[in-house]
Amino acid sequence: MKILMCTDGEEYAEEAIRFGGKLAKEMSSDISILHVRPPISPRNRIQLTTARKKLGEWNLEIPGVDYLVRAKEILTELGLTKTAPFEEEKVSRAFRVEVHGATELHLIGLKGELVRLRLREGHPVDEILEEADLGDYDLVIVGSRGQKGFSSHFVGSTAMRVADLAACSVLIAKNIKADDNFLLCTDGSQLAEKAEIIGAEMAQKLGANMTILSVAESIEEEKEATQLTRRADMILAQMGIKAERKVRVGRPAEEIIDEAKDHDIVVMGSSGSSLVKKFFLGSTPLKVIEYGECPVLIVREKRGKISLQVSN
Amino acid sequence: MPLLMELSKKKWLFIGLIIGAILLTLPVPEGLSPRGMRALSLVIVVFIFFVTEPIPLPGVALFIAIAQVLLNLASPIVVAQSFMSDSVFFIMGSLMIATALVKQNLDKRIALIIIKITGPRVNRIVFGLVTFSALLASFIGEHTVAAMLLPVGVALINYTNKDWRQIRNLSVIIMLSIAYGSMIAGAGTPSGGARNAIMLSYWKNLFEINISYFEWMKFAYPMLLIEVPLITFILLFTFAPETKDLSLAVTALKEKVAESGAISSKEWLAISIFIITVLMWMTISDTIGLGITALIGTLLFLVADVIKWEDLNNNVNWGTILIYGGAISLGIMMKRTGVAEWLSQSFLQWVAPFGLDQGVPLLVVISFMTILMATVMSSGATVGILGPITLNIASLSGTSVIAAGFVTVISSSFCFLTTVASPACNIIYGGGYLKKSDYLKAGWKLVLVSFILVQVISIGYWQFLSL
Repeated sequence: MKILMCTDGEEYAEEAIRFGGKLAKEMSSDISILHVRPPISPRNRIQLTTARKKLGEWNLEIPGVDYLVRAKEILTELGLTKTAPFEEEKVSRAFRVEVHGATELHLIGLKGELVRLRLREGHPVDEILEEADLGDYDLVIVGSRGQKGFSSHFVGSTAMRVADLAACSVLIAKNIKADDNFLLCTDGSQLAEKAEIIGAEMAQKLGANMTILSVAESIEEEKEATQLTRRADMILAQMGIKAERKVRVGRPAEEIIDEAKDHDIVVMGSSGSSLVKKFFLGSTPLKVIEYGECPVLIVREKRGKISLQVSN
Repeated sequence: MPLLMELSKKKWLFIGLIIGAILLTLPVPEGLSPRGMRALSLVIVVFIFFVTEPIPLPGVALFIAIAQVLLNLASPIVVAQSFMSDSVFFIMGSLMIATALVKQNLDKRIALIIIKITGPRVNRIVFGLVTFSALLASFIGEHTVAAMLLPVGVALINYTNKDWRQIRNLSVIIMLSIAYGSMIAGAGTPSGGARNAIMLSYWKNLFEINISYFEWMKFAYPMLLIEVPLITFILLFTFAPETKDLSLAVTALKEKVAESGAISSKEWLAISIFIITVLMWMTISDTIGLGITALIGTLLFLVADVIKWEDLNNNVNWGTILIYGGAISLGIMMKRTGVAEWLSQSFLQWVAPFGLDQGVPLLVVISFMTILMATVMSSGATVGILGPITLNIASLSGTSVIAAGFVTVISSSFCFLTTVASPACNIIYGGGYLKKSDYLKAGWKLVLVSFILVQVISIGYWQFLSL
């Protein structure tokens, strides 16, 4: 598993990194931490690269790198990387012109995990998506301030747009507090089952409790929903995981948000609704992210991975 | 969907081409030949491309060459010749010389010289930074100086306080002093900026006026010297620095420089070759041309083994050469096809009722137009497109062509407002200490002051030199 975490130096992003670090430690995954700086016109790239190289000769860092250093400190606090003085670490810094003047720092984790700190330049959403794509990550963790209303609806916060557009699973770490109570949402789709399995694995690693939730849109459908939770429970039971079951009636997004108040992390499969439907109605996960107050893990099947499974 | 997204990024390419096609079908206005109309369409399309940049600027230069031939405006040989003139040699040579200088570790030496002269007081250090950026940039170009001095600025900030957010104003002042210092110097000497070479080439090709390196300095250098204290004052006045004393940083910087030891013989060699080149520009370039002189300098660098060809190959912005070649080619075509003259006449008819059609009022208008254009597109492209028009306007109205040219070139460097318009602003912005709004805060004051200053100089000093 490979995890990409994004920071913009704000407190909520640091909380997200703390959570991601913990997860990575339990699952022994490789981590990258990404900070995106405002874009710079490519016109003077050569001179800028020269200036940056000179900064390296002076042993100086540009702003933005300090966020990454802070993130590294968090990982060290979690015991993910060794607490070695900066100079003793194996440091390699790459100034590669073709990837928008990215700066990189590699560290080796205690169990040999690769920890990568990375600085990119450009528009946050584009750069996060490109990085997620290039690095072939399984999970992207984005912190969110939790802004609501006018601006987020029309412009969309970075987190919302990443959640919407990323090809891999995304965790929107909004108001992240604890991680010992997972809420797995199912709608009976194949993807929802995948989401349950991944969410359950994660919860198991973190030693968390699990609740399976299915929402029926009307009373008549309640029976079907109960069936769905039972099915999910069985799948988890096969993995040796115990979970509570719960069924609610109402509009999915609202009910999930309401139920999530007693839980720490919501796990959902990304809805399979078509682009057109998404445009007019908005997908349930996105609504939960936007109006809910809890962290949401959206599970997606990666395009590349599906084809792999077929060939197997 | 992805295809549509790709296309929408390039929308200005299509909009530009469609506008061009429509213009080609319109009836030819009075006073313009059909050939002139084709040329005018091309100029407008290129203008749109320069402002919106749907393709990289060197690509626009290629478009200029191709379109001239396809629209039957010039033969391939004429286009090729207009792309590579002595002025373009001059731009190419200057870029290579600048690269060779940056490769030496002169940034630390310069930092030491500055702080040795200024001492630890903030206002003196800022004055020192502006002065040195300006003096250096006037000879080797703003982008080079910005790249060389950016580390010096970052060092000063870092050594003063590890957390730069606590000294944000000071950081802004230090960064902007380098950016603005090098920007105002661009017009100081012909080698200060590639756009100067464009103007020299227009004077020579369109009006057969030859201005030597030394004459140029005589006209333009005083402007730069007056601006240095003005910039220092405006910056210190706009952003109140958090601390007045940088002793800590100065001490740390001295230690840092001491680590790198004495100046090596190679560095001395590089400095001497550069000084020799500047002296040659001032003396013998009248006869052998600025371009050839620059090439001699470059060759000396290579012969003395101060720079490897690979370094030049990788670190020179070769696209720039194409862009300026294209701009000059376009300008020459504007003159030859009568577009420049037609635009100038229309312009004069326009402003005549306001009494702005000659002398100093005309220069004010030219300066204003140039600043506007330089804010939305690169200064090189501004001089490239506007140059033939302003020179023609001046010549038609009986105003000094040289004065009009200088006003255009000098005003084109007043793009203090945005991060993208000038290379120095862009490079310093890349340092990461500035917000876009910082440029606005100090920039508008500088634009205003510089605008007035150009007029004062053109009325006073240039009259005195009897331009």
